[in-house]
Amino acid sequence: MIYFLLRRFVSALISIFLASVLVFSALLAVPGDPAEIILGVNASPQALAALREQLGLNEPPVNRFFQWSGGVLRGDFGESLNYQKPVAQLIRDRLSVSLVLAVGGGLVACLIALPLGIFAALNRGKVLDPLIVLFSQLGAAIPSFWLGLMLILLFSVKLGWLPAAGYTPFERDPVAYARSLLLPILSLGLGQAAIMTRMTRTAMIDVFSQDYIRTARAKGLQPGRVIWIHALRNALVTIITILGISLSNILIGSIIIEQVFSIPGLGRLALTAIGTRDFPLLQGEILVYASAIVMLSFIVDMSYGILDPRIRYG
Amino acid sequence: MKPLSIVLLFFLSVTLAFAQDTPEPVYGGEVVVAITADPPGWDPTVSTSQEIARVMYHNVYEGLVRLNADGEIVPALATDWQISEDGLTWTFNLHEGVKFHDGSDLTPEDVVASFERAKDPDSGHTHPEYYEAIDTISADGNTITFTLTEPSSSLLYNLARPDSIIYPAASAETQRSNPIGTGPFKFAEYTEGSEVRLERFEDYYIDGVPYLDSAVFKIIPDPNTRFAALQAGDIDLIGVALSPEQYLQVEGDSSLKGTEGTATTEITLALNNTREPLNNPLVRQAITHAIDKNAIVEGAQFGFGTVIGTHMSPAESYYVDLTDTYPYDPEKAKELLAEAGYPDGFTISFELPEPYNIERRSGQVIAQQLADVGITVDLSVVEWGTWIQRIFLGGDYDMTIIGHSEPRDINVYGNPDYYYHYDNPEVRDLLTQIENASSEAEQTELYQDIARIIARDAVNVWLFSPPYLVAAQSDVYGYWQNQPTPAIDMTGVYRAQ
Repeated sequence: MIYFLLRRFVSALISIFLASVLVFSALLAVPGDPAEIILGVNASPQALAALREQLGLNEPPVNRFFQWSGGVLRGDFGESLNYQKPVAQLIRDRLSVSLVLAVGGGLVACLIALPLGIFAALNRGKVLDPLIVLFSQLGAAIPSFWLGLMLILLFSVKLGWLPAAGYTPFERDPVAYARSLLLPILSLGLGQAAIMTRMTRTAMIDVFSQDYIRTARAKGLQPGRVIWIHALRNALVTIITILGISLSNILIGSIIIEQVFSIPGLGRLALTAIGTRDFPLLQGEILVYASAIVMLSFIVDMSYGILDPRIRYG
Repeated sequence: MKPLSIVLLFFLSVTLAFAQDTPEPVYGGEVVVAITADPPGWDPTVSTSQEIARVMYHNVYEGLVRLNADGEIVPALATDWQISEDGLTWTFNLHEGVKFHDGSDLTPEDVVASFERAKDPDSGHTHPEYYEAIDTISADGNTITFTLTEPSSSLLYNLARPDSIIYPAASAETQRSNPIGTGPFKFAEYTEGSEVRLERFEDYYIDGVPYLDSAVFKIIPDPNTRFAALQAGDIDLIGVALSPEQYLQVEGDSSLKGTEGTATTEITLALNNTREPLNNPLVRQAITHAIDKNAIVEGAQFGFGTVIGTHMSPAESYYVDLTDTYPYDPEKAKELLAEAGYPDGFTISFELPEPYNIERRSGQVIAQQLADVGITVDLSVVEWGTWIQRIFLGGDYDMTIIGHSEPRDINVYGNPDYYYHYDNPEVRDLLTQIENASSEAEQTELYQDIARIIARDAVNVWLFSPPYLVAAQSDVYGYWQNQPTPAIDMTGVYRAQ
């Protein structure tokens, strides 16, 4: 077990390191200079040269990368070129917003997908089953940003129930905070719910056809017990895998959804960092995203052992 | 201009602003305005980002003089000014009793320090060249004196730019994150990625304004969300990047209103004048003849826009209509191409800047129109950072399209390193003459000469000038209906009851 954990940890570190090398090289490969973007297109050459010097952009790229990674090892994520603030502080401020979006979106997806998927599997071939399948097909095909715009048109413009865009911090007004996050969470959750419904249905149908379910039914167990204890627990291994993938999709999807709803989360920050070629900030963000995804897959792996005691790590 | 007439002009322009069919101003309340992105800091002297000026210009920061909604230069911190006969000594009288938002008094020393810093190339100010002509700056009592090395007709305009704001001498370094100005609103709170809040400055030196208790600028990057937020009543005013189709929707909504004013933007099909075959003037003329500008305005802009023929928009005081220089005539275009040695046309790359909708749509129409005369266009869309670096600063491109929104920017044609790569000593000579011109009439004439020369040389194809479109809740009044410089001035804005 310890050997397994250690191996996972080292491979996680390597993935994260490779991700940041990749992003750094990509930033070098595309044209665009942070100083030019900060000063604007008409700035005088002297001002440009002064700012480049101040931001340390005259250093060779390899030096910049190692200075940055050396700092990270000491717990110093550097300073954003564009905001001229510590990267750690910028990310900390935004992280809570994006976490709530991701967890909320995941929750919405589970709350819709699990009951619908199980129901569809139990009523396979009956009237509602094809309808649920249709919903999941449609839901998977609709891009989340479009869904977001449609939700804005319905709930903000037509009905006037929720704000169209913007974000109110929790400390200022908890109710406004919840209202401002509801539509983004729905936009993120609904698309994933559609995919998860389909997977849950397939996993349940698969389990229902197993011998031990037939045995359980044959020995006269209550149908409810068969579904919830025997079948679902076994189907959960597949469902959790899908949930892990869904959560990373939600995390990535929030980059676009935060842009659509003008929510100041990590995703908006990442887009700004790319647009302004703010490499310390972007590298910091990649670190957070990569760690989150690596951690998610780790949690998923660990949960297999709990759900199915036959699975052992070594 | 005599001091008295300037003061009169100021009051006249204020009176005119309220002469429209508008209700009486009401004090109090809040107006929420949309902007498109987080600016890189808040100090307009260390970045040329227009987003900074939109929020800060004349709301938080002021200079000696300012532009009003009609593009005229009017007093701000200076009550009046005199220019000596030889044009070498300029004196400005400061307003009495002006306070900064931190409670300190505006002193003549603050003004001197601000301009000493502005003209110092090592200070980080983005445009020290605006103040090149200034030799010395001195303060005597409440009077500021500039002595110039040579007469400069552009200096007064430069003093009205957001680059020429005055802030406390001691806090230049912290203005970027903690702005302290003299304007009608003080900078209250900035939530990154979300909004910036300005609050009424009680000690503002002009009585009676502002009307609002607070003005909030909400950062909403997505254009569809921005408009939905206006329709839903979450925001009150969109004064930037409102598309024609959104403007048309405003007309069908009784709770909203729209205004169409002038802006200084020229949507320009920029040509690389040193690259084959565009280095041949006949080819550039042929391209101009091949393009039906009216069709672009109709097809890509729903008819919103004035067709132009040189690097000037009708909003400029020195505007001259040169649309007839090389009018739309595809047959003539084909003849010129044959004469230039391209009877079968040629292939050319055309790069469209990703963030700009008007430009991208116009570009697609242009590609079709050029194909009709035998020019094959290799169309691609370029990300903004790449556009700035490779095309704008590197000059590495064939054709691109962009809106030049800076006012009075025809002087770029005197710079052979500018991305058009147009090199004409005649234009540079005229620009020098303009700097030394003694009267505005003479200046206008010289500017128009430049406009004619670049139109004759078909340096670029100047397509049209889009209007300044604003959409607002119907109870919001007093905002700028024209855009002579990027600004959303909230001084006169109020909500009717």
